[in-house]
Amino acid sequence: MDHSAIINFIPGKTFLHKLTGESKVKLFVILIIYTIMSFDLPLLLPLFVLSIIALISLKPQWKSIKALILIVVLVNLLNIFLYWIADPLCGLEYTNDQTVLFAFTQRLVVTRGTLWYLIVRLLKMFTSFMVSLVFIMSITPSELAAGLYSLHLPYKFSSIVELAFRYIPDISRDYKNISTSMQCRGIEMDPKKVKLSVRLKQMVLILIPLIITSFDRIGNIANAMDLRGFGKSKKRTYYCEHEPTKYDRICKIIIYILFAFVVFYIVRKRVFPPITKMWIYWR
Amino acid sequence: MKKESIGKILLGKWDTKTVVGVGIGVALFGVMMNYASITVFTNTKLTLAMIVPVIVGGLFGPLPAALAAGLGNVLADLIGGWGFWFDWSLGNAFLALIVGSLKLYGADIDNGVFTPKQMVIYAVLCVVGNALAFGVVTPILTAILYQGELNITFIQSMVSGFSNTAVLVIAGIPILKALAARNARGTNLSKEDDE
Repeated sequence: MDHSAIINFIPGKTFLHKLTGESKVKLFVILIIYTIMSFDLPLLLPLFVLSIIALISLKPQWKSIKALILIVVLVNLLNIFLYWIADPLCGLEYTNDQTVLFAFTQRLVVTRGTLWYLIVRLLKMFTSFMVSLVFIMSITPSELAAGLYSLHLPYKFSSIVELAFRYIPDISRDYKNISTSMQCRGIEMDPKKVKLSVRLKQMVLILIPLIITSFDRIGNIANAMDLRGFGKSKKRTYYCEHEPTKYDRICKIIIYILFAFVVFYIVRKRVFPPITKMWIYWR
Repeated sequence: MKKESIGKILLGKWDTKTVVGVGIGVALFGVMMNYASITVFTNTKLTLAMIVPVIVGGLFGPLPAALAAGLGNVLADLIGGWGFWFDWSLGNAFLALIVGSLKLYGADIDNGVFTPKQMVIYAVLCVVGNALAFGVVTPILTAILYQGELNITFIQSMVSGFSNTAVLVIAGIPILKALAARNARGTNLSKEDDE
């Protein structure tokens, strides 16, 4: 639950950190559309590898993100498993191969088509996660707002997203504080000593003060922003946004190429739906 | 107190306070969706997060509530790493628009007004909102945005519709009541007549 090591407020020193907020946000948006639009392995795999390289280039504190990655992998495996339980024949409309590999009962069968579909689906989720993680770790809240503003969104909207992003580490800090103060009052929260059902109940008991303190803080933050003249004029600029460098111009060209490709791909898929919708599939 | 027009209540007043309130709502929704939840079905969670937009709605109006839920869901997807599901974000936003309309029928959490009659209206809206948001809006958007996966979406809709309704009614009413009572503390004073 510790996000303080992942969301940073001070711009870092590596290559990706030094791009402008505009380039980061635009690149992220186009890459998310790119991952959503297809189930094609030749499109997803390069992005997955690239995002791992990008993550390494950010020089993260591996100790703090290891737990996060582990949780995400487990959650996604659980999701995929439940997806298969709900519909054991899912994905056959994409792959069209009904060869049965294992059969547990009459209903729970694993066909080759479904297995392939589930593997690609899992890779798609991981790609989406890696892109998001790199995006979160490379951007500061102000750059995020500046980037959203450059997409011609109203700046009040950008400020909402910025505040939300900025507030996440505060939530985990408050959560820890409330949990500590409840332990001071003699409530046992050690996971080894208390049953899971009791711990869930205690979690609700922590959440309610968390919600109330968070909403109590609205007045303070709003006053601080009003004092600095927030919302007085129609337009605004961002202090954090620097002049585009050489790399930003390269980034812009990449964004245009990707945009053209995404539009082409989606239009082609709508106009000529492929017969088997998942290519690179051997039969 | 001056009566405001319905359109104005629906949109909310977009001052700094609302911006901050929605921002905090988005953050709470995103974090609670990830860490204060139990997975009950694939990509479907039993979570207390839906309470947050209701409170935002009670304080600022329905449209801020919808924004808090919609953006909060996108944020949850961003830090959760299970892929982006904009059909569900928009479905949640639609649900928040309905359950967050507390101000339209006179409930005023900020000033401590939340009567039993308003609780009943709230509970009915929770059921109707869930049925509309996850029975109509989300499946249509799934068909448009993601093409297919519909049979799973229907099961997900059923599960999340029921779990959301349960959370909104069982946990939502006591929390709203407690918040209203808390805010009402200073309002039952009457001005003394000057001699």
